[in-house]
Amino acid sequence: MKESLMDVICCPLDKADLDLDIDERDDEEILTGTLTCTECGEIYPIEDGIPNLLPPDMREEAMA
Amino acid sequence: MTGDDRDAGSGLAERRGLDEAVVYQPAEDSGLLAEAALEEAHGRVLEVGTGSGWVAQQIAEERGLDTVGSDLNPHAARQARERGVEGVVADLLSPYRADAFDTVCFNPPYLPTDPDNEWGDWMEHALSGGESGRELIEPFLDDVGRVLAPGGVVLLLVSSLTGYDEVLALVEDAGFAAEPVVEESFPFETLTVLALRRA
Repeated sequence: MKESLMDVICCPLDKADLDLDIDERDDEEILTGTLTCTECGEIYPIEDGIPNLLPPDMREEAMA
Repeated sequence: MTGDDRDAGSGLAERRGLDEAVVYQPAEDSGLLAEAALEEAHGRVLEVGTGSGWVAQQIAEERGLDTVGSDLNPHAARQARERGVEGVVADLLSPYRADAFDTVCFNPPYLPTDPDNEWGDWMEHALSGGESGRELIEPFLDDVGRVLAPGGVVLLLVSSLTGYDEVLALVEDAGFAAEPVVEESFPFETLTVLALRRA
């Protein structure tokens, strides 16, 4: 994901801002990292350049 | 993509094969939505239920607009990303901020499906609109006004199989005025792309 995506995403549960933590990036994009809700503390993974912003109860099912 | 493009045996090729098997690939409805989007899209664009990412790619490339391709299905988000679109795994509009997008496109899963005959895989998510055919259109319309910036437009594909008048009633309830942008008839259904703007 590009860093500019931060302008349009929020926590799916409470619509609060997300904090970006980058583990791995290239010149253009964040490849691996996490997005943490500044309100509820829920953590959303970024893997292979794709943020998974499903609410936690849907995430398990969708990753199968 | 044709079979010749695949490097048989590599992990990437296997993964691509799997992605294609479980992701809705571009069809007539996609072509119609792309046609409408190329006409109407402006500013920052979101495609909900992007599937293969093909429509989002057309908008990004032909119009040069920043485009996010969002899908419940992680295989779809990956395909969208491979097409150069920003791929996000999400449930409808839930992780997007208020006023974030100037254009929101949606080709919803719309086939009315008997609950006894639902088949429970990713392709069902891509095709089935539940018993009414409108199971995803309703929550989408309930929330899309929140993420749409002032002056924004929603492009919604509607099939006659889903009930055109029923969808129009939902659109009005959600506070939008609808205007058909493109329409095409096929043997079993008529497809219309509606442009929705705040009434």
